Formats: sequence, C-alpha cells, structure tokens
Amino acid sequence: MIALLREAVAGQKTTMRLGMACAVLAALSAVGLLALSGWFLVGAAIAGLAGPLAVSGFNYLLPSAAIRAAAITRTGTRYGERMLGHRAALFALAQLRMVLFGRVAAKALAGQAPGRSGAIANQLGKDVDALEDAVIRKVSRAGAWSAGVAGFLAALASGWRAGLVLIVALVLMRVAARTMAARLLPEPLDRAAAAHAALQADYTDMAGPSADIAIYGLAEEIAGALAREALAHDAARMELARAQGMITAVQTIIAITATALLAMVAQASPPIVALGLLGSMAALEGWSALAHTDMRGHDLARAQSHLASITDEAATPGPGEVMLALPPALTLCGQDIPPGSRVQLRGPSGAGKTRLIETLIGLRQDAPQSLAVAGLDPRRIGMAALRPAFALAAQDAPLMAGSVADNLLLARTGLDEDALSEALRVACVDDVVRALPDGLHQWLGGDGARLSGGQRRRIALARALLAGKPWLVLDEPSEGLDAATEARLRDSLAQWLARTGTGLLLITHRPAIADLADRAIDV
Amino acid sequence: MIKPPASLLPPTKVDARAALWWLGDSLGAIALAGGIALAVESHASNGHANALSLMLIITGGCFRAMSILRAGVAGQAAAQRLQAMLRRALHAPLLRSRTARGQLVGEDMHLAVDAVAHVEGLAATFLPLRMASSLSPLLVALAVAPASWVISLILLATLVPFILAMALAGGAAARQAAAQHQALSRLSGLFVDRLRALPMVLSFAAEERVTRHLGGAARDVARRTMAVLGIAFASSAILEFFAALSVALVAVYCGFSLLGLLPFPAPEHLTLPRAFYALALAHEFYLAMRRLAAAYHDKQQGEAAMAAMASQLATIAPPPESAALPHVWQGRDVVLTHGDGTKVGPLSWCWKGPGLHILSGPTGSGKSSLLLALIGHVAVGAGTISADGMPFVPGSLNGQIGWAGQSVALIPGTMRANLVPDPAQEKPMDAAVETMLGRLGLDAMLAARGGLDAMIDHRGSGLSGGERRRIGLARAFLSARPLLLLDEPTADLDEHTAREVRAALADMARTRMVIAASHDAALIAMASSVCEVAA
Repeated sequence: MIALLREAVAGQKTTMRLGMACAVLAALSAVGLLALSGWFLVGAAIAGLAGPLAVSGFNYLLPSAAIRAAAITRTGTRYGERMLGHRAALFALAQLRMVLFGRVAAKALAGQAPGRSGAIANQLGKDVDALEDAVIRKVSRAGAWSAGVAGFLAALASGWRAGLVLIVALVLMRVAARTMAARLLPEPLDRAAAAHAALQADYTDMAGPSADIAIYGLAEEIAGALAREALAHDAARMELARAQGMITAVQTIIAITATALLAMVAQASPPIVALGLLGSMAALEGWSALAHTDMRGHDLARAQSHLASITDEAATPGPGEVMLALPPALTLCGQDIPPGSRVQLRGPSGAGKTRLIETLIGLRQDAPQSLAVAGLDPRRIGMAALRPAFALAAQDAPLMAGSVADNLLLARTGLDEDALSEALRVACVDDVVRALPDGLHQWLGGDGARLSGGQRRRIALARALLAGKPWLVLDEPSEGLDAATEARLRDSLAQWLARTGTGLLLITHRPAIADLADRAIDV
Repeated sequence: MIKPPASLLPPTKVDARAALWWLGDSLGAIALAGGIALAVESHASNGHANALSLMLIITGGCFRAMSILRAGVAGQAAAQRLQAMLRRALHAPLLRSRTARGQLVGEDMHLAVDAVAHVEGLAATFLPLRMASSLSPLLVALAVAPASWVISLILLATLVPFILAMALAGGAAARQAAAQHQALSRLSGLFVDRLRALPMVLSFAAEERVTRHLGGAARDVARRTMAVLGIAFASSAILEFFAALSVALVAVYCGFSLLGLLPFPAPEHLTLPRAFYALALAHEFYLAMRRLAAAYHDKQQGEAAMAAMASQLATIAPPPESAALPHVWQGRDVVLTHGDGTKVGPLSWCWKGPGLHILSGPTGSGKSSLLLALIGHVAVGAGTISADGMPFVPGSLNGQIGWAGQSVALIPGTMRANLVPDPAQEKPMDAAVETMLGRLGLDAMLAARGGLDAMIDHRGSGLSGGERRRIGLARAFLSARPLLLLDEPTADLDEHTAREVRAALADMARTRMVIAASHDAALIAMASSVCEVAA
C-alpha cells in the first residue's frame, strides 16, 4: 500500500477494526450455521433411530438455539461488515482526494505539473476510485481468513487427515488464484485498455468534420472501420472473461475435490463428519472470495504505482522565493511597458500570442520572445512569484463545476456579494446571471445551466476583475458577442481600467474591443 | 427497466444461453447435495463414504465449475453482440449529425465508445442472472420435493415475505438514490474538475481554499453515498436473512422431525439422507438472488448508459425532403444561433444561377457558420432564406452540394474512394481525376504514394494540412454536384497553387453555383456577389 493510502486509512482505524470484527463474526457464523445444522441433523437422526431413551437424552434445545443465533448473527454482521467497510473506504478516500489535490497543486507550483490535459485528471480520478475497492477488500479479507481457520477446525474434528486435506486445499486455492491471475490477466487487461484508448482516439480523429461526413455519406464507412477496430477490444475482453471464469472454476474444482477427499478420509462419528463436511464447504466458499482480490490486483498495482509516481517522489524545490515589486513594469518582445499601460498583442493565428501570456504569468516556460516582469525573466522565477501581478481571463473561459458565486469567489478571499455583482456588471453579464433560475447560486456545467461561450467568457472576465491584480490579461474577451454587447463591454471596461489604474494585456482579432488598448505589440 | 424507443436502439434481449448455464450451476448443486447426503448416510451406516457419493460430489462440483465458466463466456458473447448492435445503431447517425446537435467531438466520443463499454456488465452478468434467479429457486424447490415436500413448501413460503420486503426496500432505495442523485453526480465530479482547472486555480493562488473545499465536498459525497448504500445493504441484509432463515428452518424442522418431537402430527416420514440432502440444498435456494444483488452496480451503470444513448439519438432530426436546384438563393436578415447560444448576423444575400459568390469578413466572424446553416448543421434563429421565392429548408439541397470545409474527413481506403466517395455518382475516369489532382498541385503527392489505388488511413498519415485541404477541394470539384460550398478554398496555399485554384473556381462558376467563404482579395475580385459578414 502506498504511503498516501496508508495515511488516509489510518484515520479510519476504528471503523476498519469494527468492520473487520464484523467480517470475522459474519464468516464464523456462516460456517457455524451450516456446520451446526449438519451436526444437529445427523445427531437427531441417530438419536431418533436409537429409540425414545436416546431422544430424551439428546439435547436439542441448545443446538437449535445456536442455529437460530448463527442465522441472525450472520445477517447482522454481514450488514455491519458492508456498512463499515464502505464507510471506512469512502471517508479514507475523501481524505486522500483532498491530500492528493494539495500535493499535486504544490508540485505544479514548483514547476512539476502532472500535465495539463483533461485525460491526466481523468486518469487520476480513476486511480483513486481503484483504491476504494482495495480498502473494502482489506476489511472483507479478515472474514475470508477466519472462514479458512473455522473450516480447518471443523475438518480437524474428523481427524488429522481431514485437517491436512483442508490445509492443502486452502494453500492450493491461494497459489492457483495468485499464479493464474498474474499469468492470465495482465496481458489482456492491457490489451483491452489499449484497444479502448485506440477506439477513443480514432473516433475523435474521424468524427471532427461532420459536415463532410453528412454531405458525402461517409458515416457508414467510418462506422464500419470503427466496428472492425472494436473487434480487437472485444477479443481482449472475451479473453479476460474466459480467464476470470477459469480462475473461478479452478477454485471451485479444488474446493470440491477437497470436500470429496474429506468425506473419504474422515474418521469420526457421523455427526462430526457432517459438521466437517458442511462447515468446510461453507469455509471454502468464503475463502474463494480472496480470488476476486487477486483478479483486481493488476489494476490496483497500476493505480498505486501511478499515484506513487505523482506524489511520493520528493518535490524538488522550485526557484527560490522571489518577491516582485508591485505593480511591476513589463518587457514584451523587447519593448518596455510601464505599469498601468493598455497593450494589444497582435499577430496572425498560431503566432504564439496565448503562449506568450501564459509564459508571462508562469503557466508555461516556452515562449521564445524577450520577456521580463519587473526586470526578471518570467521563465525563471516561477508561478508563485508571478501570480500576484496578473489576473487572466483565458480564451477557453475555464469555469469550474460549481455555482456562479463559487467561480467568482476563486478570485480572492474577502469578497462580498456586492463586489460580485459589481464585477458582473462591469463584465456586462449581470443581466445574464440575474436571469438564471438560481441567480448567483446557479450551478454551472454538467447538469446545470448551459451558458454560451460568450457568457462564460464574461463570467471569467468578472472573476479576473475581482482578483484586483495590477495587470488584467484578456485573451479574446469579446469573441462570439454581438456588436452592441461588445461596444457596451468596451466602454464599461475602459471606465473600470481608468478608475482602478489597472494595466491591460489584450489579445483580440476584433477591432471594436482593440480600441481599449493605447498601444499594440506585434508578436 | 430499459425502454429505449424501439426505432432508435436495438431491443436488449436477455441471452437465454447464459441464463441456462447459471441454471446449470443449480443442477450441479443438486447433484452435489445428493452426494454429500449419501456420504453422510454411508458414514452413519458403515463408517466411510461410498464410491457413488464421492462420484456425485466430484461430478456435481465440476459441473458447477464448468457452468459458471460457460455462463460468464456466454454472457460476455451476448454483451458483445449487444455492443456491436449499439455501435451500429449509434455510430453512423452520431457521425453525420454532430455539428447539427451542437455536440463536441469529446461528448460524442464518450457516448459512442465509453457508454457502449458501460453496458457490458448489464448484458453479460445482470440480465442473465435476473432470468436465472427467477427460475433457480423453483428448480431447487422442485429438486427438494421428492425428498421432502414439506421442506419444499417451507422454502417456497419464505419467498413470500422476502419478495414483499424486497419490493419495499427497492422502492426506498430508488427514492433515496433519486434524492441524492443530483448532489452526488455534481459533487463526485469535483475532484477531476478541480484537477483539470488546476492552472487557473494556481493562477488565482486559490489552491488552499480549493483543497479545503474539495475535502468538505468529498466528505459530503461519502456521507450521501452511505445514505444510498445503507438502503442497498439493508435490502441485501433482507436477502441474507431469508437465506440464513431458510437454512435454520430446514435444520430445525428436520432435527425435530427425525427426533419425532414435532409439536404437530408428522406430515411425512423423513430419513437422514433425505433430510441432509434438503439441508444442503436449502443453502442454494437463495444463491442466484445473492449473485444478482452483487451485480446491482452493473445494472445501474448499464441502464444509465442506455438512457444517455437513447436521449442523444432522439435529438437527431430526420433529414428534410430534397428540394429542386434553385436559380436564386436568397437570405434576408438571417441570424444564426449556435448550440452554445452564440449568434451570427443578421446577414442578407442574393445568389443567382451559375456564378461565384463570396462570403467575406474577418476570422471568427461566422462565415463558416453560414455555410453550415445552409446544410442544416447550424440553426437559423431569425430571418428568412428562400430558394426561387419559396421558403428554403436547410439541408434540403444536401444531395446536390459539393462541400469542402476547413477540416477534411478521410476514410480508411484507397485515394480513389476518398476522392469519389458518392456511390450513386457516375464515376469520373481516372484520367479526369488525375488531371484535377494535377491542377491542384497534388500530382507529386499522388505519384509518391503510388497512384489512385494507394491506401490512406483516416488520420491521413503523411499528408500535410494543405494536401488534406486540397483533397477536400478535389472531392468537391469531382463530384458532379451543381452547388459548391467551399470554406477558405485558397487559404494555406502557396501563390502558384492558389492561382490554379482560383482558375479552377472560375471554370466551375461557369456551370455551377459556387459559394465560398474567403478573405482572399484576388478571389473576391472575381466574384459576382460578395456578402460581408461583419465581426
């Protein structure tokens, strides 16, 4: 188990222990129920045949009460095992998610971001989900082990040979499950994952030009090509289903052979033999659940090593803490810009304007231009030093899943509702937010309100205004706006800039909004 | 339950073979129980297990092992048949309608690839188990009856309160799940969402606040999930209770009956092997249902995926009826509305007969949107478009339109199939195709690849962006369609090729109506009309 998970699970120690206690009781009562039933039934039959005297000497009250008690205990403790196991896992993983995010953020700040694509975020999410299963299984494993011990004791009552048969079966089942899982599963698992990823990539590649596809009737051919590709995925999944079936089948065959051998070598009174037979059958059933853990082993190991590689290696210290003098003067493409200037960055699509501003605020380090912030090269001083100087409203308007207010409050601490409304008004989006069913508290994204690109961009703009940084950085703020709104936005921003003395870095193709700038730099 | 509209998604059939193999497991259990009972009986009568009992145990057990293996494989095969049907029902309609539905490529991909993968457990495990679990208790009761009809009745009688209790718990679980659904689906996505937004979070120095908020949200998810699970586990506990109860009842009834101590007149004469056989089978009575309960997650995931597919397919509009080729194609105060609410316009134009008509305007002003609106992929929000004075239904001329957009779809196949894909069209001679490619400066590329029979894949591996664009142009020119809609036909070309393309367009415009979005001044100078799309 990786350190991150160990720490998170340690916080749930009591729940884990209670869950394991339930698992142990559930396993013991499951074995006990069948073993006692068998013993009671055979004892009763022999006493019944031996005549009234034997019947009156047979203590039937105690075993029949024990059988009922085992039935009730099994029900209650299995419920407890499930509830507590899931509680421990869910709360441990909640803690882990928080800690993991903190670590990833700290590493990204030190210049070791895991990568910027959504795919990496998705992968991290899946890895954490895989750990959840591991915690739950840790609880239920205690049950499987006690079932094994109980089964061994039940068998041992029928003589040492019977005990030996059971021990051998228990060991064989573990060895078989582990070796088979390690041999049979990783290759098709990896192949299925790769085929799935290839299918995703090819669908993405081909689905782009849907006008072409519609006009020339290419859909059927592309669908045919995808269907052929899916065959590789299906073949791998089928191999997996077969391999998992084989593992389960081998567990059953070992268990059943052991039962037959036990019946053969048992040397005890018939009630004890019945106890041993039914008890060990129930025990082996519980024991074979361990094989499911083995089947998940490969995925779990992969998730753990991925998470470990992200979090466990020591974060190399970032560039030394630099404090910029605020507000800083800038140098862009060799030109000196005093604080409070309003600058348009110009250049054809693909010239690297967005890259330039992202480099300037420390999100990346690869713009080739000559740049300086307060005389220092932004590629060297790191994001922690740069971020007090800039507030970015990016072109793709990355709003978080959350309410409008959640998104605005990201800007800085200590903002009240009036400040939020004022920023929305300056960004010309106050009417839009007021019209939403829940206003400021309207949930955005996913199943929430779907805003247009222009509306999202203006909410992101309001957030940048709220940050109160000396430089406002806008990337295509008016794209997708009609001319009237664009003019309103320009006037309102011009007033705000004049009032606050904030500097402006502006990327835009649109002449109307470019009026905001008093100088232009060609990238 | 799954109720996709019949016309859109194939019906989900339960695979009877997988269900039969699950029943085979019950049959094996019956043999096994017989073997155990005989073994105990022969121990009681002569001190060791006889060969018949051992044989029954081994045979029954191995049959169980094989049945479970076969059930898994048969279920997987059924799932793959369903997945293949779903892909057939989904992929082509989604591919040809994506921009019209305003979906992103990633959203469609998630549906076409991931959602299809998510139905696997439903079809492979849950549905066969559900069929088997309604039959296997009856099968077990039937097998017990010859040994003891009373026990058979006892087992069946436990089903009645069990089914009532499950129905109650199922209703409560559904209500609880529905009550928590929105909060859970919102909150559980936050971790991945915040990781994705990490650069922005960092740029506002909000990482500590977001981390704290994430912790609170994650604990909230855990609490809410436990509320839903609590009920799900309670219904499992009901199942467990009746499974344990049936074993206990059978054991107590048999014990007292064998002792002759029943508090009522014995309804039948029970012997040790019969009683023991019934006891061993009582354990199996609820097994299939316990397996079904364990597959509950497969059911939820699969049904959610099917519902998502059905609802997306339902948004696809049927293609409009084809219209006659217009001589005058006119737009008045047309405003276009994108799926995300962005608007373009108002635009007005009048295109007549054969000729070259240009849409001009700066990048991002919406020239491509107008072309897409004409083929029905972007909605017309206001204004009127008419064809020869009659109202024009966007998409109704698609069969007569040759199209070359900014991105070009390639299919895995020969170069010829990519250049002349329309199966209905009379194929131009190879010589004509080669002349066209030569004119567009693609002859060197064609020769290097080995002619028209050369295979290309859908990624267009080895083709440059410009070559890809020109293949798209050649496809539009070679199609014998009388309307050409072209998006930036001369962009990204060197001056020599651009001149050739302009000349080719001038030729085309003599016989066809050519509508091109462009800000190429030389092309605009040749046009018979220019529609200015303002930013």
